[in-house]
Amino acid sequence: MLGKLLIYVAFISSIISMLSFFMTHLGKKELMKYGRIFYHITSVSVICASIFLLYLILSHQFQYAYVWSESNTELQLPLLISTFYAGQEGSFLLWTLFTAIIGIFLLNYVSKGDRLEPQVMAVYNLVLAFLTLILILKTPFNYVWEAFPKEVEMGFIPPEGRGLNPLLQNFWMSIHPPTLFIGFSSLAVPFAFAIATLMKNKYNEWITFSLPWLLFSGGVLGVGIMMGGYWAYGVLGWGGYWGWDPVENSSLIPWIITVAAIHTMLVQKKTGGYKKTNLILSILAFLLVLYSTFLTRSGILGNSSVHSFVDPGAIVYLVLVLFISSFVIIAVLAIILRLKELRAFRKEQSGFFTKETFIFIGALALCASALVVTVGTSWPLISKGTVEPEFYNRMNLPVAIILMLFMGLSIFLEWTHTEKNKFLMNISLPVILSVAGLIILIFIGLRDPIFIILTFVSLFAFFINLLIVIRIIKSKKSTFGGALAHIGIAMFFLGIIGSGKYSEEVNLNLELNKPVEAFNYKFTYVGAEPFMDANNKSDTMYHFNVKVEKDNKEMMLSPIMYYSKFSNGVLKNPDIANFVSKDLYISPMGYEEPKLFSDNQVYELKKNDKIQAGELSIEFLDFDFGNIQKGGPEMASGNYTIGAKLKVTDGKNSEFITPKLKYENGEPTYIPETMNSNPVYEFYFKNMSVKNDNEGGSVATIAVVNLNDIKNGSRKDETLIASVSVKPFIWVLWTGVMILGLGFFISIIRRRKELLKKNKNPEKIIKPK
Amino acid sequence: MSKKIKISIALLIILVFIVVGFMTFMENKIEYVDFKEAQKRMKTVEVKGVWVKDKESKYDGAANTFTFYMKDDNNTEMKVILDGAKPNNFDVAEMVVAKGKVKDGDFMAKDILTKCPSKYEGTGQQVKSTNKN
Repeated sequence: MLGKLLIYVAFISSIISMLSFFMTHLGKKELMKYGRIFYHITSVSVICASIFLLYLILSHQFQYAYVWSESNTELQLPLLISTFYAGQEGSFLLWTLFTAIIGIFLLNYVSKGDRLEPQVMAVYNLVLAFLTLILILKTPFNYVWEAFPKEVEMGFIPPEGRGLNPLLQNFWMSIHPPTLFIGFSSLAVPFAFAIATLMKNKYNEWITFSLPWLLFSGGVLGVGIMMGGYWAYGVLGWGGYWGWDPVENSSLIPWIITVAAIHTMLVQKKTGGYKKTNLILSILAFLLVLYSTFLTRSGILGNSSVHSFVDPGAIVYLVLVLFISSFVIIAVLAIILRLKELRAFRKEQSGFFTKETFIFIGALALCASALVVTVGTSWPLISKGTVEPEFYNRMNLPVAIILMLFMGLSIFLEWTHTEKNKFLMNISLPVILSVAGLIILIFIGLRDPIFIILTFVSLFAFFINLLIVIRIIKSKKSTFGGALAHIGIAMFFLGIIGSGKYSEEVNLNLELNKPVEAFNYKFTYVGAEPFMDANNKSDTMYHFNVKVEKDNKEMMLSPIMYYSKFSNGVLKNPDIANFVSKDLYISPMGYEEPKLFSDNQVYELKKNDKIQAGELSIEFLDFDFGNIQKGGPEMASGNYTIGAKLKVTDGKNSEFITPKLKYENGEPTYIPETMNSNPVYEFYFKNMSVKNDNEGGSVATIAVVNLNDIKNGSRKDETLIASVSVKPFIWVLWTGVMILGLGFFISIIRRRKELLKKNKNPEKIIKPK
Repeated sequence: MSKKIKISIALLIILVFIVVGFMTFMENKIEYVDFKEAQKRMKTVEVKGVWVKDKESKYDGAANTFTFYMKDDNNTEMKVILDGAKPNNFDVAEMVVAKGKVKDGDFMAKDILTKCPSKYEGTGQQVKSTNKN
């Protein structure tokens, strides 16, 4: 009850707060304080509801359907906490929670001085109202008997929960989803500022307010998305870090638009240009978050993604549609109402070789990429079908080249006029370094022409930004965040080229203790080792240890496979060795039990059947039950020995032999026999089966093995089948992501400082000459 | 450069992008069809259906293929040979989507998606039967 009550309170007070702020905007200034008070009621209610859900999870209150459905008593604390957002309801609550918390900081900021408070908070409250409405319809606070009213009687408390999908039982589960949700939540802020500024009809200041938030969203979302990539690569064993899956794409699109908006906002700060562009991009970024939510939550992409979707039901579907359409309508309406003012923004054309133009081209390229991804991802909505990943790769390749080239060149361009000689001098060193780097890479094996171009421009962007960072640090300033982020993204592209274009893969059958060569390494499967995961007491997992040797050095890689009761199937995790030039990646594919005999050595015989096997003639005479009774208590117990009486003739001699089959607790062991006169053959009694056909009688399965064949390797020991691949320079990609994140972080600090300073002396806008 | 030239160049680039984009898109789009339709087409398609569990399914380590029988929505059955191991959650999947093309009467799949909603949603019966291990 408490949880639902808190959500209702949050919903109602967010609407009151929204109306109060909106009335304030219309002139009723005395209502402002109610707006603030009710905002705080909303945020406190959401926070309390979240704490309550966390409490229910931690104290294993399985009478709540959500807790029962997502968690159990086995999970250790970090994963137990992460079950908070493992299901749809909880992840909506997490989104709402972050939105509510960010709103507290936002309110605190806008309430000081003339910062569009009523307008911003009116819009922001509407976001929260929608989120809480979804939580009312899709609540995590249902009891099991409310969730399954016909089947479960009131008051029933399940003794245990279902637990977390083992695919999610992982460190990244603890941080990847929350990071993404923080990014999603924070994009509501620039949106609110954009709409607010349209309401207020003032188009300059909001940039400074929004920029730190956009940087925050860009940094958090970017790192969050790539955490998902690392999860897929390092743990799930999808082989790659990016599959252009709709779920991945739908979080990438708002990120690309955010990055574009950050850059065009910088232009507006310096020259006053792109006022309209900035409004549109800020609005678009948030609308795309909503669109992404719709795509991934409505169940509409059910057939086209590796991620599991749950159809949330017609009502939630409707609310999601309403959610998006309301905000689209608000945005379109706000722009149409201000069309006259917006049209009036015309500025003098600046020259081509200016920072402004180059940044614009870069932003345009980003938007083109976002468009490509949006079209591909939305395709299943329009038609019965999907799009191959190749579409995204091919279309984004030229975009990436343009991005890297203009990112590099723009660094030494001035805002209004660039001196040619000075510019050429500045770019000469990076060009020389890039050419040198390119030659080395071509020497190593870079071949494809278009990738040579991309590598060159990426190297160029890398070195030129490195140069800038060094210069800025030398001059004891801290304004190198942007350049650092550029270094990160350039490394990211270089990493993609290496690992994406030049990775190689082979499938190896690794028989126990038999070395196999691949990629100049020697791989030897040395056996499986059981272990238990603290989070999962119901499954025994196995490390499949593979010894990897090269140049007298050896290491052990231990990919994992186990039968998961939850998934009712085998789950697999890869293992990776990191080297400077590459990652060596082992992904288990399957396991084969040791085989005593192959299919062509096995014969099924009824009583008195006689067959010819090579030079041998074999007749099955009868079963030998010894002193036990056929079908008696011994056989039922699973502990007994039976034999098959055979008459074997090899052309010269005839012998009677009885190979035996011994069962211990139902597990068979074979006791083979040989002919005294011809010991090269071994005879096995494999099993006895009762056939219910007209002729009746039981069938003995006999195997005949030529021991000479075994020496030649016909008998197979247990075998691990693994996909082994080398991924060149993939660490460059991950390092790039980290540097990118760091760059964003440094920029946020800088823009925040500016923001605080700005209140004292407003920034001058450079007018083009 | 005059403004006119600049705008024409920009428009040209945008036009090229759209045309190339459209062509690449047409080349790479995959349609959902049934097995009958898949047999007629030469290009990669997606077929939705269920795994026929009572027919043989096996993983071949040497070739790294997983073979099983699948029945589409119109009850047409076909042998599916997946390039790779048995996918995660295959056994609990209510429905599978195979991506690939028909070759010599078999469906050669590059990729298989598994859909298992009921397992994740849970049912009242499951509520009553969850016990401590």
